[in-house]
Amino acid sequence: MTTTAGSAVSVVGGGVVAERLRRVTANRHQLVGGDVGAGVVVLAMAGPHAATAADLVRAGAHVVSTSGSVEDVRDLLDLDDTARGTGATLVVGAAVSPGLSGLLARELVGRLAGCDELHISRHGTAGPACAREHHHALRGWAMGWRDGGWVERPAGSGRELCWFPEPVGARDCYRGELSDPMLLHRSFPQVERITARVSATRRDWFTARLPMLSPPHREGGIGALRVEARGWDSDGARVTHIVGIAELIGTAAAAVAAAFVDHVTSGTAPAGVVTTSDADLPTAFLLSAVARGGVRMQSFTGIPHTG
Amino acid sequence: MRLLRRALVALSLAGVVAGALRLRGRGGTPPQHGGWQPVEFPPEQ
Repeated sequence: MTTTAGSAVSVVGGGVVAERLRRVTANRHQLVGGDVGAGVVVLAMAGPHAATAADLVRAGAHVVSTSGSVEDVRDLLDLDDTARGTGATLVVGAAVSPGLSGLLARELVGRLAGCDELHISRHGTAGPACAREHHHALRGWAMGWRDGGWVERPAGSGRELCWFPEPVGARDCYRGELSDPMLLHRSFPQVERITARVSATRRDWFTARLPMLSPPHREGGIGALRVEARGWDSDGARVTHIVGIAELIGTAAAAVAAAFVDHVTSGTAPAGVVTTSDADLPTAFLLSAVARGGVRMQSFTGIPHTG
Repeated sequence: MRLLRRALVALSLAGVVAGALRLRGRGGTPPQHGGWQPVEFPPEQ
């Protein structure tokens, strides 16, 4: 894959992810201030992206959105026909979860002869907008796909101890109002169970239905992502593959968005909505681009033992 | 004075027990296999 040098890219937003993304893309693309004249516009601002994305794809610009809110992602997916009509590519959920979760899920499913379960867990946040989204994710309703139908359970229920790569380690994770199941089911309709969980402390869990008690940090600490795919191998034996990261969420989100900017500017991305778990994406290429962005991916190889 | 003496005796005993556990305890060898290992995804093209 070759990247078009000097493609005009605009990054909208002033948060951690947007700032880091500008730094990452500045040496590969021509960055422009506003979205006028930009061939690719990355939406990395707080709040819904769908309305802005609709205007941009109608104008023929390619859009990469980092939004993860369920409603916003649903609205972005609805722009498929509009984007196809103008020949624009609209990448939905190009961050960590959703985003890297989809890339890793596609990679893991490819290692299996058949996959019947996908489970996503994440820990930590990037900037204040991400922290507010995390706070919101612990109330409302958590979507999950189970045996051919959507199951909605109260967010904050279903506590499970999830192990992430060090230094994050084990964290209590709960069902959350997250868009990963919706995006993963779109790409893997044959998978029977899809869940997404988010880590929370007892205080997060207890205060989820209240306004945030203290203003969020400018940037959260080291966050983590864990993707688990269960299925069977060519002999029919049950197999579970687990891959994760432990990284600053803002850095990882910027690396994923930058990888998709490269992909879109290469001219090989199809028109219409693209999600990170799509089968026709060059997944390994995108994952290696994310790794070059400073994200170290790790595979869980079994319970540690001696000898 | 008696309280101080008892506290010193208790602390000394605790130190002796902790020292014995530290020196004679069987912690075993740290894990050498399993856990999280770096993984690379070579580009397809």
